[in-house]
Amino acid sequence: MSRSKRQVWLTFIALGAMLALLPFVVDFGLGRYWVRIMDLALLYVMLALGLNIVVGYAGLLDLGYIAFYAVGAYCYALLSSPQFGLHLPFWAVLPIGAAVAGLFGILLGAPTLRLRGDYLAIVTLGFGEIIRIFLNNLNAPVNITNGPQGINQIDPVSLLGMSLGKTHQLFGITLSAPHQYYYLFLLLTLLVVFVSMRLQDSRIGRAWAAIREDEVAAEAMGINVRNIKLLAFAMGATFGGLAGGLFAGFQGFISPESFNLMESIMILCMIVLGGMGNIPGVILGALLLTILPEALRYTGDLQRAWLGHVVVDPSDLRMLLFGMALILVMLFRPAGLLPSRQRKRELVAEGDVAVQEQANVYDTRR
Amino acid sequence: MTELIRLEQISKNFGGIHALKNVSLQVHQGEILGLIGPNGAGKTTLFNILTGLYTPSSGNIEFKCCSMLGMKPHQVLKLGIARTFQNIRLFANMTALENVMVGRHARTHAGVIGAVLRNAATRAEEAAIGARAHQLLEWAGIAGHGHLLAKHLSYGDQRRLEIARALATDPQVLALDEPAAGMNPVERDTLRQLICRLRDQLGLTVLVIEHDVKLIMSLCERIAVLDFGELIAQGTPDEVRSDKRVIAAYLGGGAG
Repeated sequence: MSRSKRQVWLTFIALGAMLALLPFVVDFGLGRYWVRIMDLALLYVMLALGLNIVVGYAGLLDLGYIAFYAVGAYCYALLSSPQFGLHLPFWAVLPIGAAVAGLFGILLGAPTLRLRGDYLAIVTLGFGEIIRIFLNNLNAPVNITNGPQGINQIDPVSLLGMSLGKTHQLFGITLSAPHQYYYLFLLLTLLVVFVSMRLQDSRIGRAWAAIREDEVAAEAMGINVRNIKLLAFAMGATFGGLAGGLFAGFQGFISPESFNLMESIMILCMIVLGGMGNIPGVILGALLLTILPEALRYTGDLQRAWLGHVVVDPSDLRMLLFGMALILVMLFRPAGLLPSRQRKRELVAEGDVAVQEQANVYDTRR
Repeated sequence: MTELIRLEQISKNFGGIHALKNVSLQVHQGEILGLIGPNGAGKTTLFNILTGLYTPSSGNIEFKCCSMLGMKPHQVLKLGIARTFQNIRLFANMTALENVMVGRHARTHAGVIGAVLRNAATRAEEAAIGARAHQLLEWAGIAGHGHLLAKHLSYGDQRRLEIARALATDPQVLALDEPAAGMNPVERDTLRQLICRLRDQLGLTVLVIEHDVKLIMSLCERIAVLDFGELIAQGTPDEVRSDKRVIAAYLGGGAG
C-alpha cells in the first residue's frame, strides 16, 4: 500500500463532510422521519459493535445482549425523569448508565464462564429475559421501574445548557431535534468504532482471538481466561449501556417491551449478516437491518398504487423478505457481506486444502 | 544437579480409573528427561497435572521448592513451565506470527486503557512483542511463514510453531508432548537438533513424551517409564533398556 498520507487525509475529510451533510440531504429528499431512522440506525451500530466484541472477538455467543441496552436505558430513565424526581445532567447520567451496564456484564458473565457454544447461548438468553421480566415486575411492592407502563417524560439529552429535544438556530442553520441527535450519536459511534479498532489490534484483542480459537491452549499460554472473558463481557455491555442511555434520552419513553428477545436476535443478525469480527461489516449489517425494514413499509403504498389494494401486508412482507435475505446471504456469502479476512478463511475450505497439500509436498522434498 | 521440579506421590483418578498411582519423580535443572510408556500409561495425564490443567487427586508438586498444587494453568506458566500438545493446539485461524505474539501475553502488561490510548509505553511494548516473535520464528526455522495462518503450515512447521509459541512465554521448563508424532525421518532428525538447541543454546530444562524409542534414547539423559499409571523405572537410557519391568511392559508379561 503506497497511498500517500495526504490522500488518506483527503478521504477522511470527504467522508466527514459527507456524514455531516447527510441528515440535511435525507431531510430534504425523504423527510424528517428518515432522519429519526438514521438516529436509530446509529444506536444499532453502537449496539452491534458492542456485541461484536463479545461474539466476534472473543467468540462468546451471547443471546441476551439487549439486557445491557435495557440497563443503560433504565439507568438514564430513573436518574433523569419525574419517576424519582431526579434530573441529573446528561454528562453524569450517560457514564453512570454505561458503567452500571458494564457491571451487569461482569455479573451476568461470571456464572457463564465455564459454558461454551450452545450452552452459553441458552444461559445468556435466559439472563436477557430475566432482566426484562424484572423490569416488567419491579413496580410492586416498591415502584421502581413503573412496570409494563414504562417510564415517561424522560429528560431529553441536554448539552451545554442546550436541550437537544428542541429546534435550534446555529450559525444561521436550523437544526431540528433529530438533526442534533444525529450529530451526537455520530460522534459517540465514531468513538465506539475507534475503541473497537484499537482493542482489536492489541494485546487484549489477541487474547480474545486466542480464546475464541482454543480456550485450553490460550490458558496454557498464560492467558487468564476468566478475566479476559469477563473483560469482553464488560466492554460489550458498556457499549450496550451507552447506546441504551442515548436511546432513553432520544425517545423520552421506555418500557420493557423494547428489550425483548427479538431485539437481541436482531443485533446478532446484524453482526452475522454484515461479517462477524469485522468493523465495517458490522456497521453495514446494522445499517441494512435498520433501514431496510423501514423502507419495506412503503411496499404497502406501492401495492395500493399498482394493484388497487394491499395484497400482502407490509409487515408480513418485511419478515418474509428479511428471512429470505438472511438465507441468501448465508448461502452465498456464509462469512457475511463484508467478512473479516480471518473469518473468510475459516469458512472457505477449498483453498486451505490446496495450501496444505502444497506445504506437505514441500515438506517431503526438504 | 539442582532439582527443579519434584513430584511427590501423585495420584489421579477419573471415576474408577486410576490414571496415575503414587508417581514420584524429580526433574533436574538443564536435563532432557524422556517420559515413555505404552498408550494409556498416563504420560499426558502427568503433563496435564504438571501444567495445571488437572489437579492431582492426591500428592504434591513443587517447583523450586514452592508447592504449585491447585494453581491454574496461567499461573503455572507464569512460574516458568510451558508446554506443547499431543494433538497440535495452535490458534488455527491466526497467523504464525500472531500465535507467537499471544505467547508473550503473560510477560506483557498493556490493558484496555493502554490499547485505546496507544501511548508510548504500549507502542514500545507492542514493538518488543513483534520483535521477539520474529526472532523466535527465525530461531525455530519458520521465519518465512510468519504471515501464513497457522492451519496453512505443514505438519512439521506446525510442531515447530508450537514450540516457538511456548518459547515466547520465557519458560524455564518446556514440556513437549509427542513432538515427533507423524513426522518423517528427516523431520525427526531436525526436531532432535531443535530440542538439543533448546537445552544447549537457551539453557532450558526439557521434558519429552515420545513413542519413538530410538529418538528418545539418543536425546535424553534420563528416562522415566510409566505403565498403567505407575512409574516402573527411571534412569539412563541403558539402565532403562535393560530393566526387566520395562521389557515386560513393552513386550508383554511373559517376555521378562
